[in-house]
Amino acid sequence: MASHGIARTNRNRTEEQRQQDLDRIKKYRDLDDQIQNHVRQSAYDDPALFHLTTKILRLNPEYYTIWNVRRRCLISGSLSKRSAGLWRSKASPNTSRSVTTKPSCVDSSPSPSAATRADRATSPSPKKTGGSGTTPDESGKQEQEENTAKPVGDDEGKKDKDEADEIATDISLIRSELAFTIPLLIEFPKCYWIWGYRSFLLSLCDSILPAAVAREFWVAELALDSKMLTKDRRNFHAWTYRRFIVSALESTKNDSSGGESTKSMTESEFAYTYSMIKVDLSNFSAWHNRSKLALRLLDERGADDAARKEFLDQELELAREGLNVGPEDQSLWYYHQFLMDQITTRGEGKEDDVKHGEGVKGLIAPNLSLADRREFIDREVAEIKDLLEDYADVKLIYEALLEYTMAYQAMGESSEDIVNEDEMMAWLAKLRELDPLRQGRWDDLEKSLKSI
Amino acid sequence: MAQLQNLPDELQLATAAHVQYIQSLDSRKDEYEYWLTEHLRLNGVYWGLTALHLLKKPEALPRDATIDYVLSCQHENGGFGAAPGHDAHMLYTVSAVQILALIDAFDELEKRGKGKAVVAKFIADLQNRETGTFAGDEWGEEDTRFLYGAFNALSLMGLLHLVDVDKAVDHIKACANFDGGYGLTPGAESHSGQIFTCLAALSIVGRMESVEADKLGKWLSERQLPNGGLNGRPEKQEDVCYSWWVLSSLAMIDRTHWIDRDALFGFILRCQDTEKGGISDRPGNMVDVWHTLFGLTGLSLLGYPGLDAIDPVYCLPKSTTERILGYKK
Repeated sequence: MASHGIARTNRNRTEEQRQQDLDRIKKYRDLDDQIQNHVRQSAYDDPALFHLTTKILRLNPEYYTIWNVRRRCLISGSLSKRSAGLWRSKASPNTSRSVTTKPSCVDSSPSPSAATRADRATSPSPKKTGGSGTTPDESGKQEQEENTAKPVGDDEGKKDKDEADEIATDISLIRSELAFTIPLLIEFPKCYWIWGYRSFLLSLCDSILPAAVAREFWVAELALDSKMLTKDRRNFHAWTYRRFIVSALESTKNDSSGGESTKSMTESEFAYTYSMIKVDLSNFSAWHNRSKLALRLLDERGADDAARKEFLDQELELAREGLNVGPEDQSLWYYHQFLMDQITTRGEGKEDDVKHGEGVKGLIAPNLSLADRREFIDREVAEIKDLLEDYADVKLIYEALLEYTMAYQAMGESSEDIVNEDEMMAWLAKLRELDPLRQGRWDDLEKSLKSI
Repeated sequence: MAQLQNLPDELQLATAAHVQYIQSLDSRKDEYEYWLTEHLRLNGVYWGLTALHLLKKPEALPRDATIDYVLSCQHENGGFGAAPGHDAHMLYTVSAVQILALIDAFDELEKRGKGKAVVAKFIADLQNRETGTFAGDEWGEEDTRFLYGAFNALSLMGLLHLVDVDKAVDHIKACANFDGGYGLTPGAESHSGQIFTCLAALSIVGRMESVEADKLGKWLSERQLPNGGLNGRPEKQEDVCYSWWVLSSLAMIDRTHWIDRDALFGFILRCQDTEKGGISDRPGNMVDVWHTLFGLTGLSLLGYPGLDAIDPVYCLPKSTTERILGYKK
């Protein structure tokens, strides 16, 4: 219903094409009918239903209800008995209970088959409140580890072996589910439901597998995400998913000894943005992520004022290197603007910082002296002016010059230090000439220039 | 708007063809595509019906059959699925409420459906009370689309008090970026679609104070490309649907004059199939009802003659939101 980038064709079909459509419709609707019949009988533990979902999802991965049916099949039938109980409250569709305010695993089960399994399952741990099905469940994992702990007698030994078998079954099932979605994801990289199903599987790993095993799945998922970003560097699903994986990896224990150590991935993710930018300077998604990581990086490094100033300097240079070869690229200018904001605003009252979701500290170099700030701005404005020698017709240059000069003025400084008023009016005239689409904006800009 | 009357035929709005195209959508049951898009059916009814209202042909789809269909998608828990037998989800629940608002049929929801209170409970239960955001359904995917949807539908039903508005507003603030825009989740890149959902949610609850209008307006106005069309993010291609996401956002911060109206008119009108009706993402591509609606809403927001006015916050005709919410903008 929402077609993108498909060429318009004559909408009249030949009789043969019409017949082909009718055949395909019949096959598709037959599959759908069979699935609906199973669903009406809540026959989620029937392996036939699971296979039907495979068939129809390959034809149409946007059919969200079928992904839900498949989830219920896993929970009600395919996963090992010990796992089923953990998810049993979702074994039937559309229970009216809240998903976010109650622990889902302690609710009474609406599905008879799931209830039977749950009775035999190892004690299910309640998920944390707010459990969205997408956050790793620490308490669940801990309990799993306890459950797989050392045997005390012969019976215990057998139980232990059974449990190991069940874990192996679950691992192989989750692995095959992840593999099933890969060709679909490659063909439909912007389909929300496929990404959602994978995040469900990963969260399932956290709930039912030993922590070290679950972690391996998350690590592999990060590699897959990198592959997806190689295919489409701007895919915002993949970038959002990446942040989700990273935060999961950061919050899980990363050594098999069960120690409590966690490891920040800020450095490696920051380096990843650099590798993406090197490949393609226009990748604003990577620049954006870099802006989001910068503050955390400095905090984690324990950077002092000198190191922070140095960092700002290096980042400005990185942006400028790009601008020297591609001054018409908005991505570079947005990152440059982000850095300049760090210099021109001080977040007095901290309102600005809160707005940016950066927390109260919120600045790369919060203790820059006024002299330092003036020096930075002077230098950037001078460098940008130099760009005009080679690129006199790039409107983004004039826009940046005006913006930074005005920000300088807003610091309570006299812009006469760096430019004169005639120069500013000349830049505005260039903007009007080079960018007639945004005359209304230039009108408003002129008003605010005159009011200063 | 005299100059528009002098445009060549292919740049006139093909009203009659568009009406016919939308009317024909439900008679395409012999097309495979019709079945492959069943998971969007209730959205599709909303898109088509809103488009017909903007074209001033609200009667072009039968009201009774529309109500019957909407109610047939409702579940016991109050939520709506895309079609009968499809799972309940926020996306379709919002469309259902919007359709019923559009055709003034909330009373039918009380009489023959599960009633407003149950629908509102379904929506309110999807709020994450810790972070303030909303999930789409019981499986827990969260993003700002669902938060906006919840505010939209609950406010139309007069039941917004069921959710924690302050927490939700805090969540939107956490989605803000240095460029003035908003992302899908905290940390995510600014995207026109998410900017629309965040601004509209803030507008509904009258909490625009944290919006950096100049910065955001600048970013939004830079979405217009030399061919007149708008893109959704820096360094991406233009697409008719951004005529809505970008323009409605500019409207909410009173800056639609920061882009070139006639250039955008030209781009949208070049995307029409003037013969068989409908609007596509870019000139010469396949049309669909989603791009048809968002092309028309773009034209409407900029005052194209002969179209009903659209409310930039609710994506419903202003006459509808004025009737229900009792205010005039």
